[in-house]
Amino acid sequence: MTVKRKVENITAERMVINWLGLGLFALLGVAAVVPLFLIIGDVYIKGIDAINRLGGLWVFLTELPPTPFDERGGIGPMLVGTLYMTALGALLGIAVGFPLGVYIGEMRREKFANVARAGVNVLVEFPTIVVGLFVYAVMSLAKENLNQYLLGPLSKVLSPLGGWITWFIGPLDGFNAYAGAAALSIIMIPYVALITASAYASIEQPLREAAYAIGGREFNALFVVLRKAVSRAVVTAALLGTAKIAGETAPLLFTAFGNTYYAPFTGPTAAASLWIWYAAQTPYDVQIASAYGAAAVLLTIILTIFIIARIRG
Amino acid sequence: MLGFLLVVLLIPYLIAAYGLLFVKLRWGLRLFGAFIVATIGLLTAMFLVEAYPIIARDGVAVFLQTRWDPVRESYGVLQALTGTVLTSAVAMALAMPMALGVAVTINEILPARWRGVFGSLVDLTATMPTVIYGLWGLFVLGPTLQSLINTLARDTMTSPYTLFTAGVLLAIMITPYAAAVIREGYALVPKPVEEAIYAVGATRFEAVLIKLRYVRNYILGGFFLALGRAMGETVAVAMVVGGNFVRFTTNVFESGITVSSLIALQFPNAASYQYMVPALFAAALLLTLFGLAINAVAIYIIQRGQI
Repeated sequence: MTVKRKVENITAERMVINWLGLGLFALLGVAAVVPLFLIIGDVYIKGIDAINRLGGLWVFLTELPPTPFDERGGIGPMLVGTLYMTALGALLGIAVGFPLGVYIGEMRREKFANVARAGVNVLVEFPTIVVGLFVYAVMSLAKENLNQYLLGPLSKVLSPLGGWITWFIGPLDGFNAYAGAAALSIIMIPYVALITASAYASIEQPLREAAYAIGGREFNALFVVLRKAVSRAVVTAALLGTAKIAGETAPLLFTAFGNTYYAPFTGPTAAASLWIWYAAQTPYDVQIASAYGAAAVLLTIILTIFIIARIRG
Repeated sequence: MLGFLLVVLLIPYLIAAYGLLFVKLRWGLRLFGAFIVATIGLLTAMFLVEAYPIIARDGVAVFLQTRWDPVRESYGVLQALTGTVLTSAVAMALAMPMALGVAVTINEILPARWRGVFGSLVDLTATMPTVIYGLWGLFVLGPTLQSLINTLARDTMTSPYTLFTAGVLLAIMITPYAAAVIREGYALVPKPVEEAIYAVGATRFEAVLIKLRYVRNYILGGFFLALGRAMGETVAVAMVVGGNFVRFTTNVFESGITVSSLIALQFPNAASYQYMVPALFAAALLLTLFGLAINAVAIYIIQRGQI
């Protein structure tokens, strides 16, 4: 009788610890995502108010940013710069990241594929500012020769096409949109590669044999037949990677540099994230407001891409 | 000339890699592998070259002295290094319990159809732009933490922007990275092991503890991956850390500086000084080596302990 009671006591005690322990884990888990709601709420409440104060949505999306003495203004050049650099960076990131992912996912038995996999694993965790500094260093070395031998003559050849071409192609400044896009693509490559690799690695062996059997050349088997099996995962990876690089700031600090005017992409280029970084640290209310507005716009772009990726995936 | 070779060879290289994919697939793929390895090698080499002037002048002393005084051309990154260690320590101490909580909540506590939603929220925390975290830290988190800490212990936090603020902000940002690795490991605990745990009469909580011990390699791996993120994070930290690169401090409730935010804040005016650009590249080299070492450890731990 006493023995039974003792067992019951322990059980009750253990149940209490059980619920307390599980409750603690749940609390900690919830604590990890609560800031997300606080941040999104803060950005939208202050951001929408700021956009209204600075002249409404259309003005905000197209006009130049406010100087400290302006009443209204927007983030037009920043939006254009962000979209341009993100699109270029994402294209380049997928163009290199996808084949790389196929390599480290499909050729796992090769020694060099494992070296490449280790490289990708390192690069995905790399501090983004280091990537920006790297592109800056390459750019400052390459700029002069590049302008002299390649871009100078090229822009002369292309000049009959009209003035608009100088916005895209021409002798580069030390800071330009292409350097920014290159830095963004280096951040995106390992991201796409890793997800592609794990998707290819999870293809079942019979399916792989079937693909090789009907595909003829290895290229067709890998890139045409098997791609269909993993396309969903790869598209999701591409979208999430794009969402990630759209908001990156550190790699753009020394590559795109930022600007406050609509300017050719061959020179310093504005980006929404760079404007938030700059304007938030000024002492002027109107510029801080425009930083919040820019944050709301940037967050909307990223949330849209993220939700599309989640619904598809 | 080096620069010319670099960029002009890069484009034909990528075209050749794509061409080879059609002709001889394996070699084409290998070129892509070589591309990524070469990028990392080139990056390290480039930083060594760019940092050489200051290392030739000061030797390792550049990493060991605390004076950052551009006017006298004296550059020491020790206080930035200390700042990085302190902010990372605060961040890891807060982030690891939260990451464990996330992994357990998703795998054990939530009903199956809420798991995906909660997982998406955690992933979104990782995808959010760091500059938006910085904005929030600047106007909401910093002032809130200051008043909170000062209510608990009067006058400990004199400014809203301190190493502690940066650490708390970092903790929020890096939790998903640690959580992702732990979640992955947790889901891999074999069913027979789980059944055995319950068969000896464990409660749910005891089972959780045993399973966490079972995946300890993943927890350790997640720890190092998150640590790598914490050390490298730039923009958000630079916005809330206070930007104090003059006075050496080991008090987390004072303004400080970290290695990456030193680069971000000082680089724009570095060109006016003779040795500042090399000094900042030396700091970047330090970040790179840290990143390589920490990730190597993390990858080794995770691969060794794969279930």
